[in-house]
Amino acid sequence: MTAADGTRDIIICEGVKKWFGDFQALRGITTTVAEGEVVVIFGPSGSGKSTFIRTLNRLEEHDEGRIVIDGVELNNNLRNLEKVRSEVGMVFQQFNLFPHLTVRRNITLALTHVRHKRKSEADALAEQLLDRVGIPEQVDKYPAQLSGGQQQRVAIARALAMQPKIMLFDEPTSALDPEMIKEVLDVMTQLAHEGITMIVVTHEMGFAREVADRFLFFDYGLIVEEGTPEHFFENPQEERTKLFLSQIL
Amino acid sequence: MAVQTRPISTSPVTTRAVRWTRENLFSSIPNSAVTVAALALLYLVLFGSDPVGQAGALATFDWPDLLGGGLIKFVFDGADWSVVHANRRLYFLFRFPTATPTAANPDETWRIWVILYMLSGLAGASAGLWTRIDLKVAVVFLLLMVPVSLFIGAGAVLLLTGGAVAMFAASYVAAHFAPGIKTYLAVAKNVAIGAWIVAFFVAWTLLNGVDSRLWGGLLLTLFLTVVGIIASFPLGVLLALGRASTFPVIKGFCTAYIELIRAVPLITILFMALVFVPLMLEPDRRIVGLPITGVDFDLVARATIAITLFSAAYIAENVRGGLQSVPRGQMEAAEALGLSTSRILAFIVLPQAIRAVIPSLVGQFISLFKDTSLVFIMGLTDLLEVAGIVTSQPGFFGRQAESLLFVALIYWIIAFSMSRASQRLERTLGVGDR
Ligand SMILES: Nc1ncnc2c1ncn2[C@@H]1O[C@H](COP(=O)(O)OP(=O)(O)OP(=O)(O)O)[C@@H](O)[C@H]1O
Ligand SMILES: [Mg+2]
Repeated sequence: MTAADGTRDIIICEGVKKWFGDFQALRGITTTVAEGEVVVIFGPSGSGKSTFIRTLNRLEEHDEGRIVIDGVELNNNLRNLEKVRSEVGMVFQQFNLFPHLTVRRNITLALTHVRHKRKSEADALAEQLLDRVGIPEQVDKYPAQLSGGQQQRVAIARALAMQPKIMLFDEPTSALDPEMIKEVLDVMTQLAHEGITMIVVTHEMGFAREVADRFLFFDYGLIVEEGTPEHFFENPQEERTKLFLSQIL
Repeated sequence: MAVQTRPISTSPVTTRAVRWTRENLFSSIPNSAVTVAALALLYLVLFGSDPVGQAGALATFDWPDLLGGGLIKFVFDGADWSVVHANRRLYFLFRFPTATPTAANPDETWRIWVILYMLSGLAGASAGLWTRIDLKVAVVFLLLMVPVSLFIGAGAVLLLTGGAVAMFAASYVAAHFAPGIKTYLAVAKNVAIGAWIVAFFVAWTLLNGVDSRLWGGLLLTLFLTVVGIIASFPLGVLLALGRASTFPVIKGFCTAYIELIRAVPLITILFMALVFVPLMLEPDRRIVGLPITGVDFDLVARATIAITLFSAAYIAENVRGGLQSVPRGQMEAAEALGLSTSRILAFIVLPQAIRAVIPSLVGQFISLFKDTSLVFIMGLTDLLEVAGIVTSQPGFFGRQAESLLFVALIYWIIAFSMSRASQRLERTLGVGDR
């Protein structure tokens, strides 16, 4: 699937719907993301942002519609799922580092057991990645010994270790104290400039405006409005978008 | 982690020994009293008489009749500890061959010594690899050696006991200070774990060189405890995982098993192992080619299996609590990395689940240890049973109190060591740091 400008659509969603019991959290999401594109998702609490981003690596199974990641459709085929998960990195609001493992082991675990790399090779990569996120000196500590900002940067390094084509971020700075938000956003900005495909749920609008190619505004399980950052900041069309932006800006 | 940030003490060992003694043995007046009383009791038990007369002074002291006053008076005055001293071999080994060897009935005690030396060496090396130099380790080990040193009587036995202590100390020092050990620490630890597994089978083989009908006393109690723990722990973990499974058949089976076992007292299960196994196994039945006939099917094996099956149900419930305590996000993060379900269990979920429940697991192990005393119902002679038997010998009639107090002390030393080991393990694994 190649778009007119020669870039490839790496994520394709067609009419994705999801129910939790009787409650419909996603009511038909249709969108595509090109390779290297940075998409920011925002919207009110409960609008389905997390649910949507989690369907992209099948932490949530969608009930209707189609999701194709890098040419592989997400369905009950476990082989597909393994391939997709090792290509899609995810960073969580609560970091979800493994507390019983050192920073090094957090990063190398999947390298040795999914990618089957040798320990020395994995260790070298871990050190290199920690360098990239700016905390090379923390390699032998445990997560509980790090600040929130440092933990989230380790989480980013852990996801990057798998050399994913796509990175998903679900409110990566919402659990952080204000003084630590910037250090995490700086790492993400750097990643965005390196050309990795990113989908970021965030309400850090300054950061979003700087790095995003496109915004998606979610409400009630639907994409209500979509466009460039300029479109949203200068000329939003929908009433709900205007109201929400006026509340968060 | 607490262990890493703990400052390395630089004061000389002697100062630290004095400080440790003051903080742990003489921190308060009741604590000091207990220490003095325990030492005096040990002294009496060890030598069975009071050649120096100090204990006599303790006995004539006018103890207040409150609290344990009466008991202390009994311990130092009324009691006749010769029952313990004279029967020391029976408490530890019961009829294990033999204190009075003959050509037809050779002495097999060497098997016990080999096992003891092997375990002393391994324990020392493991302590050296996993802990920093620590007087507590030495003191705890020496305390454990006290019951063993009750063999003292013949010069050879004294030497052998001392040898085991020296073995522990030497391997501790060797493992801790070997040149280059820091570089190969991970390898050395794996070797040590492997050595423990090998040692387990060696000990097993050595013990089985003697008919299990001749096992008894502390030896039998410890055998049932150690094998019970080693076998019931993995079984319990599997049952807990089974109960958390999404497959209805597995989940149903595990839940039914756990609930059924927990509804029945252990003594009933032991009794069933005694009465029903011969009914189920016909006299000429073979299991994997081995002629295991019902009536002959080793009683110790039956008891071990019964205890294992019983304990596994409780361990499963403890581990289930641990599984529920692992946050959902841990699994999601691992899934998102593409780890397979079995690896997520092995590397992420189980280590955290088990760490979270170490105190209750060790509690379960301690009750297993104490529950082994119920095997008397099957006609086996464990430590507690020996306590009664020795007082039915002429010359020791009416000495039940001394005998039971002594056995209680042994139970306490072992149970207390297990509890301390659990606290230590918890600290080392940094459970409290999250
Ligand atoms: N596992 C679940 N079971 C039932 N309902 C759920 C579940 N997960 C999410 N929901 C519901 O689905 C809706 C969308 O949730 P989602 O977490 O996607 O919202 P969100 O846009 O990420 O909100 P927030 O900004 O608060 O994170 C919410 O109403 C939520 O209550
Ligand atoms: Mg959310």
